[in-house]
Amino acid sequence: MAWTIRFLEEVALADIAFQVEAGSIEEAFRGATQALLESMANPATVSGGWERAIERSDEDAAALLFDWLSDIVYWKDAAGVVFREAPLTLTKQEHRWLLRAKLIGALVDRQTQELHADVKGVTKHLYELTETGGCWMVRVVLDV
Amino acid sequence: MNLNTDMTVNRITDEIWEIPISEKPGMLVPARIYATRNILQSMDSGVFDQVTNVACLPGIVRYALCMPDGHWGYGFPIGGVAAFDVQQGVISPGGVGYDINCGMRLIRTDLTLADVQPRLERLMTELFRKVPAGVGASGFVRVSQEDFGRVMTHGAGWCVERGYGWHRDLARMEEGGCIDGADPSVVTEHAIQRGINQLGTLGSGNHYLEVQVVSNDRIFDPVTAAALGITGHEQIVVMVHCGSRGFGHQVASDYLKKFEKAMRRYGIGVKDQQLACAPFRSPEGQDYFSAMNCAANTAFANRQVITHQVREVFSTVFGQSAEALGMELVYDVAHNIAKVERYPEGDLVVHRKGATRAFGPGSPGLPEPFRLTGQPVICGGSMETGSYLLVGTDRAVRDTFGSTMHGAGRTMSRAQAKRTVRGDLLQQQMKEHGILVKAVSMSGLAEEAGLAYKNISEVVESVDRAGITRKVLELRPIGNIKG
Repeated sequence: MAWTIRFLEEVALADIAFQVEAGSIEEAFRGATQALLESMANPATVSGGWERAIERSDEDAAALLFDWLSDIVYWKDAAGVVFREAPLTLTKQEHRWLLRAKLIGALVDRQTQELHADVKGVTKHLYELTETGGCWMVRVVLDV
Repeated sequence: MNLNTDMTVNRITDEIWEIPISEKPGMLVPARIYATRNILQSMDSGVFDQVTNVACLPGIVRYALCMPDGHWGYGFPIGGVAAFDVQQGVISPGGVGYDINCGMRLIRTDLTLADVQPRLERLMTELFRKVPAGVGASGFVRVSQEDFGRVMTHGAGWCVERGYGWHRDLARMEEGGCIDGADPSVVTEHAIQRGINQLGTLGSGNHYLEVQVVSNDRIFDPVTAAALGITGHEQIVVMVHCGSRGFGHQVASDYLKKFEKAMRRYGIGVKDQQLACAPFRSPEGQDYFSAMNCAANTAFANRQVITHQVREVFSTVFGQSAEALGMELVYDVAHNIAKVERYPEGDLVVHRKGATRAFGPGSPGLPEPFRLTGQPVICGGSMETGSYLLVGTDRAVRDTFGSTMHGAGRTMSRAQAKRTVRGDLLQQQMKEHGILVKAVSMSGLAEEAGLAYKNISEVVESVDRAGITRKVLELRPIGNIKG
């Protein structure tokens, strides 16, 4: 695992905020994805069985990450699922970033899963994807 | 005075504080905060920054306001109220909140604590089973896309048509549980698919269903309380706090994105991206208003379906029909909404975000049952401390665009609350104090501990003393369902 996740305490009083630091932009995407999955449920308690392949592209990597994280929240509600993992690859083709990912999870089950917050959405508040000296940082505030 | 801001904050009265327009470039009107000195001192810096950002929005009228339960929010502070001229002003999803028509509903009963206490465990277990809560929960009402369109346009009325409620319920809801001007054609398929299975679900976070008791010594205005169907004597009531769920959030997210582009076209600059807005009369502004009304109506319907389930559970547990148990609606009020209302300045788009409408007696637009009392204002406190029922006043109409507070307001982050309290221990402690809690998530429970909130009694006192709402009674929790 080439990223670190830190949940931020005083950024959003009523909500959840996290910051991810990673050695590459792809790892930053993975770390932010993991932080979002963990915000909704403990992934270790979620089995498989539900899968959805997602492909997205954008010239702007920050916009792409925002839309991808929003996709995860959308499927949580639309399919009534929580997630075990979401393997992804991120590549750059000419001027566009291409994300290929798979959401893997299961229908919500209070009895077997450790459920956390019902995340309503990803917000633009303090939202950032930046690179400094080869280190990528993502900051996300989730509305819960 | 020690405040979490460097701005000048002038005392107008002991409960009203004003930040002049000189404090931030671009402010068009002063910002006013309703709070006691003590509450003002405890407010986070975000409140001062955000309420003055709101004061910079085009077409704002009179003041940007923040209520005493105010705290940092997205764009607008929670507790924020602002009114914009319908011709020159804007509409902003950030001024409504992501959870469109998040609101409160109070249901009375003829039951007393003595009736309920012996069956409380069974009652809460059944409520927990019948009212889905927490992440990914779906409701028991299965609707087609066509039906969901009717939910968007008819709100709680759709539920009553389908047998999920009584016709007289509708007279006891803000706007009769259905706001005109909802147009499903401006709602994305994404939003519909996100919300179509969520009718009758609570959600999580600070949303809850609570069984409460009203004691005689906590009724401050017995005449008004009686007019609202509450006579005390350890009377049992049920409070519901939830909104439009994923559907409303998707509507807000979709239009925030559209407005970011629209602002460039209309040459509007904002201090915070989450204040994205569009002229109210523009096609984008009107589309958002129509979509927001769809979400608002869906929230009324959501609380109506939950009410139906609550009545069913009470009926089963106590072996009598809900009607025989006197389970009438006291009121249903929105606290995240934008509405066009008439004030001396003309027709205004009043944004209330974490703020409640508080029309006084005789106000046009109030349902018949409340013409003499003023509009009920239901304020939820933390699950440990209790809640309040208040009524609106003429002064609120004059001073705050008919608006007041909505709840206690957080003072501690979710992470800090979880570090301070353990969910399972909190559940045990609350049980020892006579409050039975059923929660989907123990960490979610810890996040909602009473210590994470302001003292609601002090918040209520400040709006009562400011004259923008009048307190009627206090409600004490005995059972709580949390997502």
